[in-house]
Amino acid sequence: MTLSKMNASMSLSRRRRARKAFRAESTYHATGVAIALFFLVPFAITLLASFRHGTEARLPPLPPWPANGISLDSYRSLDTFGAGVWQHTFNSLLVSLATVALTVAVSVLAGYGFSRYRFPLKNVLFVLIIATLMIPFQSILTPLFIILARLGLNNSLFGLTLVYVTLQLPFSVFMMRNAFDAVPKEIEEAARIDGARDLKLLFRVLMPLVLPGIATVAIFAFLNAWNEFLAALVLLSSNEKYTLPVLMMAVRAGRLGAVNWGAVQAGVAVMTLPCLVVFLLLQRYYMRGLMAGAVK
Amino acid sequence: MNETGVVLTDIRKSFGSLEVIHGIDLRIAEGSFVVFVGPSGCGKSTLLRMIAGLEEVTDGEIEIKGRNVTDLDPSDRGIAMVFQSYALYPHMSVRENLAFGLKMARTETAEIEARVKAASAILKIDHLLDRRPGQLSGGQRQRVAIGRAIVRKPDVFLFDEPLSNLDAELRVSMRIEIARLHRELGNTMIYVTHDQTEAMTLADKIVVLRDGRIEQAGTPREVYENPANIFVAGFIGSPRMNLLDAAWLGNGRVRVAGSEMSVPVAGDGLQIGEKVSFGARPEHLFVTDGGEGCIPAKVDFAEYLGGTQYLYCQLADGQPLIAEYRSGPEINAGSTLALSVGDNQRRLFAADGRRLT
Repeated sequence: MTLSKMNASMSLSRRRRARKAFRAESTYHATGVAIALFFLVPFAITLLASFRHGTEARLPPLPPWPANGISLDSYRSLDTFGAGVWQHTFNSLLVSLATVALTVAVSVLAGYGFSRYRFPLKNVLFVLIIATLMIPFQSILTPLFIILARLGLNNSLFGLTLVYVTLQLPFSVFMMRNAFDAVPKEIEEAARIDGARDLKLLFRVLMPLVLPGIATVAIFAFLNAWNEFLAALVLLSSNEKYTLPVLMMAVRAGRLGAVNWGAVQAGVAVMTLPCLVVFLLLQRYYMRGLMAGAVK
Repeated sequence: MNETGVVLTDIRKSFGSLEVIHGIDLRIAEGSFVVFVGPSGCGKSTLLRMIAGLEEVTDGEIEIKGRNVTDLDPSDRGIAMVFQSYALYPHMSVRENLAFGLKMARTETAEIEARVKAASAILKIDHLLDRRPGQLSGGQRQRVAIGRAIVRKPDVFLFDEPLSNLDAELRVSMRIEIARLHRELGNTMIYVTHDQTEAMTLADKIVVLRDGRIEQAGTPREVYENPANIFVAGFIGSPRMNLLDAAWLGNGRVRVAGSEMSVPVAGDGLQIGEKVSFGARPEHLFVTDGGEGCIPAKVDFAEYLGGTQYLYCQLADGQPLIAEYRSGPEINAGSTLALSVGDNQRRLFAADGRRLT
């Protein structure tokens, strides 16, 4: 074979390989885009529909976007329900963020303790905490209500927060113990030789290493508190204390049998947005958190 | 120099009811390089961790530079430790890793900077200071781990099998580096390893441990040439010393595999016919053409290593024996040789393992 022929055949095979790679890559991306669309379209429809005019909102949702220009009618009518959408959003945010803060604080300390300290009945205690996951929360709603009433915490957002934290803790403690277990012991020992003790050790050295676990715990705590309906309905009794899910129930039920679909769409949009924000902010850590412990 | 650096007095350690360290007494001279060796599970790492303060001492006392540190926190003992797994803080840059201990001790910023700079210059890691541990190779990580120990300016360096995670070539160069470091810094260093080459080359003093007890402590030469007992004899040296069943014949003579030979042993208290072990290192065996004290051996298998040949032999009574053969024409499997040992290199051990002299 001459040199030029060899060159020609080589570049031919290289081109063939390039074409194959291109085809594989475009298939990969096309599939990705299709799947993304599949998940994004419902969000887009809701968001677009929430910006339709008041009159348009009652019509069948085809096409699902505002045909006569953008309007905030739906959001205005949503604001007429309950104590106003701002108040309820504020309530929800307050309860959810407080739940996140308390859950993270308690589960980090508990996870650290369960992972690193030796104390009597450690495993029994741990199993006991995990076992509470098996109790359906609806079944303890009545006792919870009574306990909160005794403590003078019924119809208070703080009481509701405590309930949410309690429900969130078993999973979170489990998660954080695994996260701490995955940190090599030598790192902790090196830090002890370097002079970091107890809380300093926890905050300066270990916390950054379990951040994925913390992000996972935070996301779950936020989403569960934000979306929770039954406990909020049962434990809160005055209008201005209700959280968004309770407000949404009222909106969805309609007034005198007439459902304001525009307000429903607007409410869904208001409820979805913070979840998306929290998830997008923490998703990088969240993925690592779920995988920690899987490897190794 | 010989002002005492580290003193261990009757150190014991129990996990629950299981005692794993049975009363260790050891004096380590200041500025010396001591290596703990022993088979896995012998307690060498536990002993090191007790000196570091990472493991509680059940009983006994640890002194560093004349100060009783038995109940002090690791950070207050004047020690620094290098771990097998490096144990760097993955979320900090190399600079922060080096500075962390000093920051915890509230050292002034200028001082921290100066010490980090000095340490990174010694270890030639100055160009890596802004990287994270994840971006470093194994050898570089180990340098950073050593650097983290250096900046603390400890009285005693503790190394827990620091080279086990490195590949063979890197291990050799890091070994030389550690030896150089010891010469430059002059600190007391305690080093745990199961690698004999590391132990022999680095140590001023080797401490051979077994089952939580010291079997022998001495210079590499002492341990190698005058093993205190059959365990040390078999443990130090590679390939290991040949230990052959023998019978005491009296008058400084023994019978090994059917051949009689003299040994440099008085044999006080030995009965004639008593069973003993005859020890000879592979490198001390040589091929003769017969004569006094030679053992006939059949070569089962020969390993060619370039400069030398290992001959795996079988003696007349079936006992295996390894001989190192350095000169002369190649010897093939199947040939029969007459092997002998230099007079001063014949060792004898009693049935209970004690060295006979």
